[in-house]
Amino acid sequence: MENRIEQKMQELKGRGEKAFITYMTAGLPDMEGCRELIFAQEQAGVDVLELGIPFSDPVADGSVIQNASYKSIQLGTNLPKVFTMMREIRAEGVEIPIVFMMYYNTALHFGLERFVEECIIGGVDGLIIPDLPLEEQDDLKKALKQEGAPILLELVSPVSAGRIPKILEGARGFVYCVSGMGVTGQSGNFHREILHYLSEVKQVSQIPVMMGFGIEQAKDVASVKDVIDGAIVGSHFIRVLEANDYRPQAAAEYCSTFKRELNLL
Amino acid sequence: MKKSERYYGAFGGQFVSESLMNVLDELDKAFEEAIHEEAFLKQYDYYMKQYVGRETPLYFAENLSRAYGTKIYLKREDLNHTGAHKINNVIGQILLARRMGKRKVIAETGAGQHGVATATGAALFGMECTVFMGEEDMKRQELNVFRMEMLGAQVICVKSGSRTLKDATNEAIRTWAKTAEDTFYVIGSAVGPYPYPKIVKEFQSVISRESKKQILQMEGRLPDVAMACVGGGSNSIGMFADFIHDASVKLIGVEAAGHGIASGKHASAMALGKPGTLHGMRSYLLQDDDGNIQVAYSISAGLDYPGVGPEHAYLRDSGRAEYVSVTDVEAMDALQELCRLEGIIPAIESAHAIAYAKKQAIKMKEDEIMIVCLSGRGDKDVHTVAEYRSQQQCEASGIQAATVM
Repeated sequence: MENRIEQKMQELKGRGEKAFITYMTAGLPDMEGCRELIFAQEQAGVDVLELGIPFSDPVADGSVIQNASYKSIQLGTNLPKVFTMMREIRAEGVEIPIVFMMYYNTALHFGLERFVEECIIGGVDGLIIPDLPLEEQDDLKKALKQEGAPILLELVSPVSAGRIPKILEGARGFVYCVSGMGVTGQSGNFHREILHYLSEVKQVSQIPVMMGFGIEQAKDVASVKDVIDGAIVGSHFIRVLEANDYRPQAAAEYCSTFKRELNLL
Repeated sequence: MKKSERYYGAFGGQFVSESLMNVLDELDKAFEEAIHEEAFLKQYDYYMKQYVGRETPLYFAENLSRAYGTKIYLKREDLNHTGAHKINNVIGQILLARRMGKRKVIAETGAGQHGVATATGAALFGMECTVFMGEEDMKRQELNVFRMEMLGAQVICVKSGSRTLKDATNEAIRTWAKTAEDTFYVIGSAVGPYPYPKIVKEFQSVISRESKKQILQMEGRLPDVAMACVGGGSNSIGMFADFIHDASVKLIGVEAAGHGIASGKHASAMALGKPGTLHGMRSYLLQDDDGNIQVAYSISAGLDYPGVGPEHAYLRDSGRAEYVSVTDVEAMDALQELCRLEGIIPAIESAHAIAYAKKQAIKMKEDEIMIVCLSGRGDKDVHTVAEYRSQQQCEASGIQAATVM
């Protein structure tokens, strides 16, 4: 079976459409509510959904995601529960590509082999692990060499410079370009060299280029629209969810608006 | 960089965000260049001697030796400027930062000793300094907060998670990732992503280099035991460094057992920890069933870190060093004993090493030699000691009252 992310990227390319990717912390407002939010986003046309696996020490995240992670851990969210939910929603026919955004220790502690097996059974399509740079990926990549295993998505930053070609070599799915230095959720704080840097990535990349960190509305990416293939919204999406009591309808409205506006830029 | 260079056996590595990888690479190059350059080393030695006050004495603690039944030498890091070993590393890293053209420094701190040392170094070299400190620790170590502010540093109160050193470190890493282009992160312990554990070891190894020279002068032979307390492990790696290749010297690291390992309230990553990744390194960490990092506990703010430096993890697994732990009560008793016997008020951190020295001495002969690193002085801890004693008294009188009834 083809990977859902790669399939989706093909479709979008065929339609000449930009991708809209959201991030939400798993287990909020609770497991059932989280599931409802996934259904709503699939309906609203979200192209890829990142599910944050809460970790006690999220060093790549700003305060919004830190607080959400903390809350979710308090509610008892853990990897086994998220895997159970994944199996259930896939059985119910949810086909949206789903990426786990997580810290390495969570997978390491679970056991890499067992982790990959559960990902395959639960239909997890990709992994984003912000504290696992290229040099430390060997162990996980070895475990991922299996039919149907998720793609380890690669991240690049505005100061990756000479590392970009090496990172992109063999990268699959899409490349996640971080818009600025630092952590998630610093709105309007794109790196001063953002256009130059994204162009550089776009030039060498064989796969779609997505930008994330600090994006709130589609118009935020207007200035770089020619060099990206999509946008990722995390912290701001969580703020929208919180402000609307995690109502699926509100999530759907925000998502369909963003997706529409993104493709009108 | 090859994997073997970044690792100590299975431990170490660089578990940081992509945006820091080039930064670490630059740091490693600058460090290697600096420590192979005579002018840099001369400058470092100059500040160690003239500003920090090195070399520190290796003091033969005669009364303690008599009481414990073996020869005990104390490496007096408490006599350094700012009152602890932390300054050795800070001066080294700040000189490196200057060399790399950085004008701002940030640091994390637990007990506040590393924060004070960094604020001191920043004042000396005219750099802007921000220190991250957990809210809990700020309460426990008010005096050090005040000292940092007097020295011109900005102290940021960290209110996330456990509000102690672990979370202060998280916040420092986040800020560093944001500002690395013009800011140098001065890590205080032998932890963090490579090359930090190597850098901290290099600048702290002065402790064992001096100790070795001094003991050879005084005793004409190497010690049988070298011992130090272990939080993240900076004074201990410094105490071990120059003895690692002397197989006859037994190396002992003393972790904090808090209320006792069995109570779950402790900071002994080596006793019950499992390998994992945190703060850029793979090492032994206290974790729960889901791989979340647990809150460490110790009466000593400088030891309650849920992890340990990667080289210590390697020294443990390879059997070169032994790691043990002592409880709050044992450490506080040892603190009191050192005050009375030698007229030295040690930091509670260092008192953990003294407490184990007592236990280790039982296994040693009278003419055998043990060097204990007295990593810091106890002035900063007098409030904690006072509180502890009044609590002890309350409990004691409670028991008495109960017995009378």
